[in-house]
Amino acid sequence: MTTTTAGRGKREGGRVPRWLHVLAALWRLNVAEELQYRANFFASVLGTVFGIGTALLTLAVFFRHTTRLGGWDYWEVVVLLGVFNALTGVIEAVLRPGIGQLAGEVRSGQLDLVLSRPVDAQAFVSFRRLDIWRLTDVALGLGLAAYALHRLGHVPSALELAAFGVAFASAAVVVYAIWVVLMSLAFWLVAVENLSVLFDALYEGARYPVSAYPGVLRFVFVYLVPIAWTTTIPASALTGRLGPGIGLVAAAVAIAAFALARWLWQRALKRYTGASG
Amino acid sequence: MSGFGGWIRTYAALIRNAWLVDLQYRAAIGLWMLWGVTEPAIALGIWWAIAGAGPVAGYARGDFVRYFFALMLVNQLTIAWDSWYLDRWIREGDLNFRLARPLNPVHEAVADNIAYKARTGVVILAVWLLAAAVWPAARMPIQPTRWALAVLAVVGAAMMRFFISFATGLLAFWTTRATAIMELHAGVSLFLAGRIAPLALLPPAVAGIAGVLWFRYMLAFPIDLLTGAVPDGDALRRGFAGQIIWLAIWFAAYRVAWSRGIRRYGAVGG
Repeated sequence: MTTTTAGRGKREGGRVPRWLHVLAALWRLNVAEELQYRANFFASVLGTVFGIGTALLTLAVFFRHTTRLGGWDYWEVVVLLGVFNALTGVIEAVLRPGIGQLAGEVRSGQLDLVLSRPVDAQAFVSFRRLDIWRLTDVALGLGLAAYALHRLGHVPSALELAAFGVAFASAAVVVYAIWVVLMSLAFWLVAVENLSVLFDALYEGARYPVSAYPGVLRFVFVYLVPIAWTTTIPASALTGRLGPGIGLVAAAVAIAAFALARWLWQRALKRYTGASG
Repeated sequence: MSGFGGWIRTYAALIRNAWLVDLQYRAAIGLWMLWGVTEPAIALGIWWAIAGAGPVAGYARGDFVRYFFALMLVNQLTIAWDSWYLDRWIREGDLNFRLARPLNPVHEAVADNIAYKARTGVVILAVWLLAAAVWPAARMPIQPTRWALAVLAVVGAAMMRFFISFATGLLAFWTTRATAIMELHAGVSLFLAGRIAPLALLPPAVAGIAGVLWFRYMLAFPIDLLTGAVPDGDALRRGFAGQIIWLAIWFAAYRVAWSRGIRRYGAVGG
């Protein structure tokens, strides 16, 4: 397998890989389709603003009774909240409408239609849909993070911004890997259509810095289920709480998570092929 | 189907049916249950950390543990998904064959709720008992009268949340955004029902609004009754009175929405 699924336009021997053409065509189609439903844009923005509002009020309740959460002060946690929302945008725009549908398709057998296509199945399943309206969450989330940085009085250096960029991209890869691992479970536990709920439950943990949790949970979030790498680490890179070197560590974690997910996907797929004959 | 015996037989059949359907989806139900307890578990984690420096407005770490364990149980026993079902029934026409039956579809929904809550409530109760066996902070003082009163308040809260969810779901007769309204309600209940923190920890003005509206009676009141935060006497009587009034109001809302919606639905159907 020489293709990469990261979607960064890597060339193979000077040629744009075919799956990238396929992807571009699919997304063009999606965008054209979504543009017909502009009311959804307003509904989506309203939903996001409401979500950010309740999250800020929740923080206000916590900070009524404390000055720090796991050693982070209020605006630092708001930076993290911005990162959380930006990442939520990536999840809702690409991952949930794509790979999030897998569990149901394994159950109904519709996956056959995907596997019979002459493209890499994992890449196709993962990136076939783009819900563009939810990309506004990315903009709103990053805007919130920028505002919180301003309130903190912290102007990130170019190096910190670069580290954040790498850490955020790594966070997207880690989240993607978690989705792939969870969805691969569908090949073993066929009767579970709502596997995506398991992701939602885990991702709830990413709303707050991991240092705010009791020791056992913190260990789990850093080393076992890498939730810490989704929001705590990118936010720390942005506020300068962690040095820019953390970007490299985050990239390494992302590569490891991706490799593991790819390996599990291939094993799971063998099972499916075996099962259907 | 006349008389009390007839109703018992009808409900027994409906509940049995719902129980068997749920049995097929037990893995999926387990995941929903897990999802339902994450939010309180994470809130508990945060309050646990905050209370490490000393009690917060009278709540020590152990109080938070008991509050959020009670929240997990009471929420599971009172949550109602009926808005989402009704929205689908109305939009996709699944309501039609239900209307053709000689039984109001609301009874099927009630039976579904009873079967679902019996199954999942027992699991959460068992987890709580196991936790209490090894963790003294999760133990409740044994007060049978309190527990009996809490059971009553939980039944009242379950009925109220059922009618809130059902009446809101019926808005699907008029709008395609009925479930969005329910999400909005869930967002508000995060604070006003006591899902993120005991009401005593909110700004007094907010906690006051929660007591005037129905939110407090959805979760906070039964939980506080169970953990002992509601003193005997006046506060207790006022709590039950508030719950009964709001239950009556939401029941009336359901009746109005149902009778008007059905007329409208019939008109569209031809």
